[in-house]
Amino acid sequence: MYALLGNSLLTISFIFTIYGLIATLLNIRNKDDRFLRSAKVAFISSSVMILGSALALIHELMVSNFDIEYVAKYTSAETPAMFKFSGLWAGMEGSLLFWLSILSLYFIFVILQNRTRHPKLMPWVIFTLGVIQIFFLVMSNFFENPFTLIPDGMIVTGRGLNPLLQHWAMLIHPPLLYLGFIGFAVPFAFAMSAIITRNLDAVWIQTTRRWTLVTWILLTLAVVLGGKWAYVELGWGGYWAWDPVENASLLPWLTGTAYLHSVLIQEKKNMLRLWNMILIMLTFTLTIFGTYLTRSGVVSSVHAFAATDLGVWFFGFIILIISVNIFLLILRRKDLKSDNRLESFVSRESGFLFNNMLFVAMMLAVLWGTMYPIFSEAVSGYKITVGSPYFNRIMVPLGLILLALTGIGPLLAWRKTSPRSLRRNFLWPVVTGLVTAALWGVLYDVKLIYPLLSAALIVFVMATISMEFYRGVKARKRITGENVFKAFFSMIDKNRSRYGGYVVHVGIVMMFAGFTGKAFDKEADLSMMPGEVRTLRNYEIVYQDYWFESSETNPGTRSNHVAKVISLDINKDGSHFDDMKPEKRFYTDQDNQPHSNVAVKTTLNEDFYVVLGDVDLDTGRATLKVRINSMVTWVWLGTLVLLLGTLISINIEEFFRRKTR
Amino acid sequence: MSFQKKFAIVIGVFAVLVIAWISIEFESGEVPFISVGELIENHDQFTQSRFRMGGNVDEGSISYSEDKLTVNFVLRQGEDLLPVTYLSAEIPDLFKDEAEVIVEGKYLDGVFQADNLMTKCASRYDEEANYQPLTEG
Repeated sequence: MYALLGNSLLTISFIFTIYGLIATLLNIRNKDDRFLRSAKVAFISSSVMILGSALALIHELMVSNFDIEYVAKYTSAETPAMFKFSGLWAGMEGSLLFWLSILSLYFIFVILQNRTRHPKLMPWVIFTLGVIQIFFLVMSNFFENPFTLIPDGMIVTGRGLNPLLQHWAMLIHPPLLYLGFIGFAVPFAFAMSAIITRNLDAVWIQTTRRWTLVTWILLTLAVVLGGKWAYVELGWGGYWAWDPVENASLLPWLTGTAYLHSVLIQEKKNMLRLWNMILIMLTFTLTIFGTYLTRSGVVSSVHAFAATDLGVWFFGFIILIISVNIFLLILRRKDLKSDNRLESFVSRESGFLFNNMLFVAMMLAVLWGTMYPIFSEAVSGYKITVGSPYFNRIMVPLGLILLALTGIGPLLAWRKTSPRSLRRNFLWPVVTGLVTAALWGVLYDVKLIYPLLSAALIVFVMATISMEFYRGVKARKRITGENVFKAFFSMIDKNRSRYGGYVVHVGIVMMFAGFTGKAFDKEADLSMMPGEVRTLRNYEIVYQDYWFESSETNPGTRSNHVAKVISLDINKDGSHFDDMKPEKRFYTDQDNQPHSNVAVKTTLNEDFYVVLGDVDLDTGRATLKVRINSMVTWVWLGTLVLLLGTLISINIEEFFRRKTR
Repeated sequence: MSFQKKFAIVIGVFAVLVIAWISIEFESGEVPFISVGELIENHDQFTQSRFRMGGNVDEGSISYSEDKLTVNFVLRQGEDLLPVTYLSAEIPDLFKDEAEVIVEGKYLDGVFQADNLMTKCASRYDEEANYQPLTEG
């Protein structure tokens, strides 16, 4: 019954969205507001129905109704409840309905939030969102319907969820990613409206500023969480492999971050109107491209869903988006010309422009590295792979230049910075940077040039940010006579955007510290018999014991798998550090698919990381990989600081205060 | 020359340099996928570079070192055979006789020194590899 309900809602929603599109067009043509009201009602209704359809699917997943093919494919009776729920996005059909659901939530919000605002912009905004919605409705209704029933007369047991996905991150990473990805559709819709209606001043940007920040932080959190998940789950010891689908999520993030920065220039100086338009168009297109990449079968990856016909349709949709965008850019090129001009290299405008160039260069490098192997194989049949070394060799130097800009940019003045100002602002930070470089060269191998530069730049940027806070508090104290603490907080409050931005940059600096740690990682492949001891740097690994667990020995925790476990006594600098129990699991409902459960002990400066290859239950011989991962925690902590800075910038209290007025 | 022009030239030069650099790094980072036959025929061409190969594990050819960290086997592709050695604590569980594998590494003295070994497993999201029906009809 729920399947029928879900299916019907999906179909009716499709009809309502079609109506909404037609009504919007009629409103644009006739200027009759009744059409617009009617269209808004239609879109809200179709969005609510989509959400209802998703709830129906969730219901069927939770009760394990295996008459529905989707439920049978991605869950089993033994699957824990929270993973039955996440079955909503575990497979192709459900993930498309989930995509639609998130879009619908945003759609409803945008309509309601702007019901009395921006009358000139709203018709094309909702039309654009409606077009996106209709595309995904077509995919869901006609190609990948999650409510398809299994053939008559068959009874099946569910397959169960891939053990790699049975981790709490499965509940958070995909939703966050979708929230971040799909969120860019809103500034994009406003941009489309602005360019079509020729309202190309900063209004469309100001309106979407908070939205862009929110969607950006959600995408950032999603990408980092994906890395953390891979780190604890996949067992290769890293958090970023330049996997095609990882890259697909990074591409819109790169141009999205560039966009975040360059709109600041348009707001302040009304410059770069054409460039901002291109950036948001590019960012949105890349989100659809990322959605396409995982579903087309074009790449094989940990993430990729199976190959389907969807690929062709998505590709067509992307071509349509690009064509319409190019057409509009050419049509409105005169309206997009900016009045103000660049005046100097040492200006904040030029700093932002260099920032943008770097992000775009990074995006292109990653795009090329991801897509070229695919093109190459399709065109010439000649197979190549492009691995981490290429990506790292490009991204590290570009990243370091960006890091330098993070310190330089904010201290440049608009239009032109005087030499006196340059000296005053940069002398102390540059000195501290150089001193750091010198110290580093003494303490560590100078040949490791990138870590040296990274350390120097980290200190340089922290010096510039500290100086900004120091000067700001000092100035405020002089004017208001407040004490240091009050001055500090009210200074931030009076200029949320700026100081929130500085906090975000502190987070970035912390993440760079984490990345730099990779140069100091160490790993070893060990083969040990019980009782043996090995050392890695200042760690001592003592192999204590080994055993087997199953649902007979541990009915509570081993319901859908069996495990070989070893216990290790780890000593650090002579004293006891931790007891670690890495294990090798075999999932009984997945044809005994093996999976290593990593054991990690985290401290601020390094992680001790152990993966069990195998243990012979007769002899006790264990093969294991141990790793020291330096500074990894700084990546995760830096992300939290990034979140704090974004919350400051968004001015979340003001948002709620306005709502309650 | 106006500042705009100067700026455009600087950006242009920067862009050209970056593109050139990306292309060079890309070419040196490419890991080609070649056939075993190709390697055997032109083995002197391949001594310095990294590449990937695919094939099946020749039946009965697997042997482990005593500490179980190194595995030696023969990679078979069509009629061509190639000895491979791979050192790692984690040998993939699906690695056995006749398994389909991809190896990545270098070729040295007649033996392929693999630093990466991947086995092919049925995709979990495969349309065909669905569920096991208990009853039919």
